[in-house]
Amino acid sequence: MSGSSLGVAPVAPRMRLWAGYSPSVVILASILLICVVPPLIFLVMASLHETNYDGSMGAFTVDNYKNLLGGARFFRHLTTSALFALGSAITALFIGGLQAWIVERTNTPGRQYVLCVAIVSLGVPTVLYTISLLLILGKTGPVNQMLMALLGQSEPVLNIYSLGGMILVEGIEFAPLCFLLLSAVFRNNDPALEEAAMMSGANVAQILRRITLRLALPGIFALLILTFIRAIEAFETPALVGRPGRVDVLTTDIYGTMQHSPPDYGEAGSFSMILLIIVAVLLFVYSYTARNAARFQTISGKGFRPRIIDLGRWRWLTFAILVTVFSITVVIPMTMLLWVSFQPYYEGINLAAFGMLTLKHYRSVFGSESFREAIVNTLILGATTAFVVATFTAVCAWLVTRRFRGAWVLDQLCSAPLIFPAIVMAVAMLEIFLNLPVPIYGTLLSIIIASAIHYLPYGMRYSYAGILQIHRELEEAAAVSGARAPTIFLRIVVPLVAPALVAGGLFVFLVSVKAVSIPILLAGPNSRVVAVALFDMWQNGLMGELSAIGVLWTLFMTAVSLFLFMFIRRFGLAVR
Amino acid sequence: MREAAWTRIASCGTALTLAALMVFAGPARADAISDVLTAKGPDRQKMLEEGARKEGSLMFYSALTVDQGLRAEVNAFAKKYPFIKTEFWRGTEIQISQKVLAEQRANNVQVDVVESVGVAGTLSRANALLPFESPYAEAIPERYQDKTKLSAASRLNFFGIAYNTKLVPPGTQPKTYDDLLDPKWKGKLAWREDSVSGAILFITNLLMTRGEPATEAYLKKLVGQNIVSFNGSARTLVNRVIEGEYLIGLNIFLHHPVISATEGAPAGAQGMEPVPSVAGTLVIPKGLKHPHAAMLFLDFFISKEGQEVMRDAQYFPVIDSVKPLKQLEPITPALVNMKENYISDQALLDNKRKAEALYKEYFR
Repeated sequence: MSGSSLGVAPVAPRMRLWAGYSPSVVILASILLICVVPPLIFLVMASLHETNYDGSMGAFTVDNYKNLLGGARFFRHLTTSALFALGSAITALFIGGLQAWIVERTNTPGRQYVLCVAIVSLGVPTVLYTISLLLILGKTGPVNQMLMALLGQSEPVLNIYSLGGMILVEGIEFAPLCFLLLSAVFRNNDPALEEAAMMSGANVAQILRRITLRLALPGIFALLILTFIRAIEAFETPALVGRPGRVDVLTTDIYGTMQHSPPDYGEAGSFSMILLIIVAVLLFVYSYTARNAARFQTISGKGFRPRIIDLGRWRWLTFAILVTVFSITVVIPMTMLLWVSFQPYYEGINLAAFGMLTLKHYRSVFGSESFREAIVNTLILGATTAFVVATFTAVCAWLVTRRFRGAWVLDQLCSAPLIFPAIVMAVAMLEIFLNLPVPIYGTLLSIIIASAIHYLPYGMRYSYAGILQIHRELEEAAAVSGARAPTIFLRIVVPLVAPALVAGGLFVFLVSVKAVSIPILLAGPNSRVVAVALFDMWQNGLMGELSAIGVLWTLFMTAVSLFLFMFIRRFGLAVR
Repeated sequence: MREAAWTRIASCGTALTLAALMVFAGPARADAISDVLTAKGPDRQKMLEEGARKEGSLMFYSALTVDQGLRAEVNAFAKKYPFIKTEFWRGTEIQISQKVLAEQRANNVQVDVVESVGVAGTLSRANALLPFESPYAEAIPERYQDKTKLSAASRLNFFGIAYNTKLVPPGTQPKTYDDLLDPKWKGKLAWREDSVSGAILFITNLLMTRGEPATEAYLKKLVGQNIVSFNGSARTLVNRVIEGEYLIGLNIFLHHPVISATEGAPAGAQGMEPVPSVAGTLVIPKGLKHPHAAMLFLDFFISKEGQEVMRDAQYFPVIDSVKPLKQLEPITPALVNMKENYISDQALLDNKRKAEALYKEYFR
């Protein structure tokens, strides 16, 4: 591959070989095709074959679909999935939206710290959140104990292992992300309309209801769909909260079919295909809504700053709301983990337990080689996935924005993995690795490959937005001075988009190290990662060690997220 | 273009050579492994130790509870053979058999020895096991022995219910299967759905002792009790009962609540006639990489030394020369005159499909 054929400047003779397409576009597109198409093919294949006793594919059949669509179970779980997703999306939007409005549009004290807290909480593994909320809200948790004492009942009042419980837990978990995304929506409102309303005598509540929220509505609606999709794909909360209470959703059903002996890959495949189609349809609706949201844009050529509302004495109420949300999402769960990590064995909170505080779980964690291995594995997984995704999408995004012939395909292919919920991606990749003659199943590499493909779309969004901001004048100047495409890319483009790439990389790092669904199906005994170790420990009842690891891991991830936060601040980037 | 063609030919050639090597080297290596696994004679121990020294490591999959038997057994073995780096992974027998089969299919076997309840039947049916011979297996009582030499019994387990003694005063706990149908237990019972030794064993025991129609009639009534489907180990379920999350855990290992009760936890154990009993078994999967270390570990596990570790972890040893601890006597069926139904791995496998179908029909 010669440098000139990459090119900005048209280069005649070699191009004919590639039918006018830049070789880099062709090569990248081929790599993407190899990554994106086989998972789909293997899913379809698995769903259309019987599963043999040893797990291999048997005879062709459509029974997997027939059984699935013919039974009441599927539709029951589909309905539960939809209710769960809608409920948690609304909960998250309410909490996140309230925070976003308070932070962006009011003079509430301490509001500048909320962004930092939200980004930090992105790094805490979802499993850990779920588990600490289970400890707090479970039958023996402090909340139920208090309610029982208060109401004079002998039975626990709240049942967390229910659809309502799942919605609450997932809603709290998604709230920080909703806050981050809604902040941008509230920030981009032109204050002129609100000022006009105020002049006409409207009060704060009226302005909020009739102007601010109305303008934000399309943005909120698009976000509602996005959160809905994420909740449909969610695995950790349904697995830990829903399953014990016999509340199944589609993702846990897929996981459930893999928990048979022998595993039913056919049923898992057909389930996955249906979930994939549902997500694809929802994504289409989302992109349609997001595009139409432009009609409500109030950013124009004139400069403006969103108006900050002076709440007067009421600002202490909004301050109290921020503190409450902060307590519920961060302080209480972390305190609970800290408490359990110092207890010899867990049996609720009581005074007697204060006398039994111990460091034994921390000692056993620090002494455990498998824990050290899990940490090293997790860091390798996160760093490699982040590096691969950031580098790959940077090149793709550059080719796309500079309109190389056929480069639009790269954009489409990079976004294609969005339709694979993580658990479906895991099922598909498992099928591929089991059928490859190369011994890759159970290795860390297999998890890295699956994660890199899964997070490709996220990386693309960061890289694309970063490169879009650079005018091509600089590159043209370099080209005129005789630089070739690779030189231009490496010496001009990369230094300029580096902050966006690093931010994208850090984001992929954060999300890939806390994910459970991919490694839980792919990891072998030597490639375990922290999130899966936590999941296993919960199932094995090792509460003390789990909490000790959770506390240490949270401290570490907080440091990484803080770094991301400061980095974003320094370079004026946004978190998506 | 030319270069590309050469590269293609070269890569095809490499792939073919590798494939040929795998085909020819495969059986030879398998023979060598079989020789190690079935070796006899006075120099067997020396040969195993020398081989294990070269292998240097061992991977053990087990369904034993980490904090009770698993870590203790592995540590005791590591102490005796410090030159073998012994690692373990804990999963349910379903996760274990799934992982073993997947590793074999993917041609990347990491496990060397497996110990669990119910795993031998599944894996032998999938033709995934290698026969072995250990001189220590002779001490295992006749009825727990496997004639096919594909497995060796490692421990005994009696199943029954665990109840929270604070919330269910001793004496008021259910003592028979029919007691479970009492409306006062509605919504307060839990069993494990992701393990053969949970709900499936519960149903299998009924199928073997009552026959299919009576079992189905019983299950139809039991559905009304809204049993919680618990995901996690039997040990974790007992912990949840102690915490008061559920009042009663069905089909748990009877020694688990006894262990907790000796530590002061509000836990009670109750067997229900006929008490199902199952032996845990050790098996060796095809394609293992450390056969010498695997045999040393297997020997150790069923030797007097290894069985004493099991006993001290409050499990029921499988060899007669090591007796269970005193506190386990009240839950040993033979000692309290309760009828016992021994369910072999084969019987478990034979009834599995039926039991699973019944479970799916009534409880999913």
